[in-house]
Amino acid sequence: MISREELRDSARKGLGSDGLMPDATQSWDRLVEMGWFVMALPEEDGGLGLGAEALASVHVELGRALMPGAAIAQMAAIEVLAAAPDFAGRADLLASAAGGERIAFSLEAQGAGSLAWVPDADLAGQMLVVSADRIALAPIVSATHRATWDMSRRLFDVAVGDETVIATGADAARLHERAQATVLLALAADSVGAAEAALEMSVEYLKTRRQFDRPLALFQALKHRVADMRIAVSAAEALLWSRTGDGVSLADLGSLKAYACAAFLHVAEETVQLHGGIGLTVEHPCHLFLKRAFLNAALCGDADHWNAQAGRKSLLATT
Amino acid sequence: MSEQPEALATLRGTLRAWLAAHRPADWRDAATHEQFVASQRSWFAQLVGAGYAIPHWPAQWPGGGRSLAEQKVIYEELARADAPRLLLSFVSTYHAFATLHECANDDQKARYLPGILEGETWCQGFSEPGAGSDLAAVRCRAERKGDVYVINGQKVWSTMAQYADRCLLLARTSTEGAKQAGLTYFLMDMKAPGVTVRPIHQIQGDEEFAEIFLDNVEIPVSERVGEEGQGWAVAQATLSSERGLTLMELGYRMRGALSRIAALIRDSGRADDAGVLRDFGALTGQVDAVCALADQFLENRMKGVERVGDASIVKNAYSRSLRAWSALGVRLGGIEAQTIAPITYGDLNSGNWMADFMNSYAWTIAGGSEEVQRNIIAERMLGMPREPKNWVVA
Repeated sequence: MISREELRDSARKGLGSDGLMPDATQSWDRLVEMGWFVMALPEEDGGLGLGAEALASVHVELGRALMPGAAIAQMAAIEVLAAAPDFAGRADLLASAAGGERIAFSLEAQGAGSLAWVPDADLAGQMLVVSADRIALAPIVSATHRATWDMSRRLFDVAVGDETVIATGADAARLHERAQATVLLALAADSVGAAEAALEMSVEYLKTRRQFDRPLALFQALKHRVADMRIAVSAAEALLWSRTGDGVSLADLGSLKAYACAAFLHVAEETVQLHGGIGLTVEHPCHLFLKRAFLNAALCGDADHWNAQAGRKSLLATT
Repeated sequence: MSEQPEALATLRGTLRAWLAAHRPADWRDAATHEQFVASQRSWFAQLVGAGYAIPHWPAQWPGGGRSLAEQKVIYEELARADAPRLLLSFVSTYHAFATLHECANDDQKARYLPGILEGETWCQGFSEPGAGSDLAAVRCRAERKGDVYVINGQKVWSTMAQYADRCLLLARTSTEGAKQAGLTYFLMDMKAPGVTVRPIHQIQGDEEFAEIFLDNVEIPVSERVGEEGQGWAVAQATLSSERGLTLMELGYRMRGALSRIAALIRDSGRADDAGVLRDFGALTGQVDAVCALADQFLENRMKGVERVGDASIVKNAYSRSLRAWSALGVRLGGIEAQTIAPITYGDLNSGNWMADFMNSYAWTIAGGSEEVQRNIIAERMLGMPREPKNWVVA
């Protein structure tokens, strides 16, 4: 069993000192080399069979680096395919996917059979299409780039050819839920990691930037805001690790994602403000956090949706 | 950490069964302070007898010698069973115990520790009208005259001092040098001549705190803890006596009390109101996050990797959530919640929404206010520079 700390350390070592938002192609190769796409694969499929906690650990680090690309989508696709009933070519497909061969996948996994919001679909030959009654593989016919404010991800609208259905009925429903669970956990972890990085950057800036003959970090009005950011990120992280166990419901993962994204939004919004004018320039990375925070919040069901679900569940649990 | 899961499960099972048989079901019915105090005393005596009152004391004491993991189990089960919290004996079993255990001499330990188990209660005489967040600014004077110290001054915000037998007193023996260096620590008899206690009437109708007036009170030199001038160091032992378990217990109790909001939503026919469900769902997430934080804090303590500021994060997250919990109750309670209802002594999550809301300030202000906790997080955890010490306001 690999611990969270070991994964974190190896991730940081592997990602190295490339800084924020490293080159997408090189990073993809590095993720493959580090074996991160093998992690979710069951051992009988040649993978490591690591669970949700390990995956979340990796996504925290990817968030910290504002990693571009389709890692969340690829890992979710691998998880769904690994959990699917056997189909022709399953073993080869899983092996090649774990080796970095791309399978496109929509981050709007909560919707039915969504062909939108697919990261790096122009680099993939086929797509995994997921809905509650049908899981299918399909060749990508065209991928149209949809420019989003978040520059750290490239999202596409996809058109696909003839589908090869690999699961229907109860299997499809189960896999659809699995897909959502994976994406929700990944987005929550990504948000925690990115919020942590934005917080560290803000603290460093306040210690360095001087006005009125003193560092900004000396002003209590700013200290208190930074302390609140620290509390928000710590609480989101604690909630994350408390929901990486077995048997966590989709509603609980949704509420985790809503909570973590709210913390990230809070921190990202404050990060721009605390940096003052420099935070409004494209040369400074402040805006990258802000834009990623808004995209994470909007993907795979927003806070309104998941909080209402959590409220309903909590209401039923206390009847 | 060496705890076997089976041993913890056994403890949990035994305690759960014991609580099912012994938990006083009527503890919320106390209509007067006297009834509340009586029910607290009897519950404490029962827990002492069963061996669950002082799990954090050393093993030589009956019910002591429990690991942190075992203590966690005990508080989880007390919260789960909705048993009354040990409010009246809290300062005695934590603050007085820690102070005596860590800093007192053998005579003082022998004199006072056994009494705590017999129900003797202590209060804390630290805060003053001019020394709140800035505790070292204590002005209450202690002057040595032969074999006694003569005490003059005023203490405030002393929890349940009106029922206390003894007091952990921080007083000033010197005005020279740094303000921390002039403090000395005493064990004071609350029945000594010159001690007057006046309960503080709180805005929600409770009298959980009191003022203590000290008029030429004589304390024998033998009741001094440590040397003259060491009071600040001894006070740190008092204040760090309880870290984590209470917030974990309170977090779990707040999670249990989400059912009160749920009942409010159902009873007012808003179970399908999406806006209400959203707010309730968000609150549920917030409360779960507090519980996860408190759990993580205790685990880090058990592993010995607690960091400076961690406790401040848990405390602020808890106090904010308690405010949010009660605020949602007040809002959903509507105009009905504005009708005065008798308070429930000793219950933070009573469902008397306005009282609960006002009670939540005790957590954002007492025990180091939210603002002080933010300073600790910013300065000691994040390394932001402290303000120069000698700023003078023109």
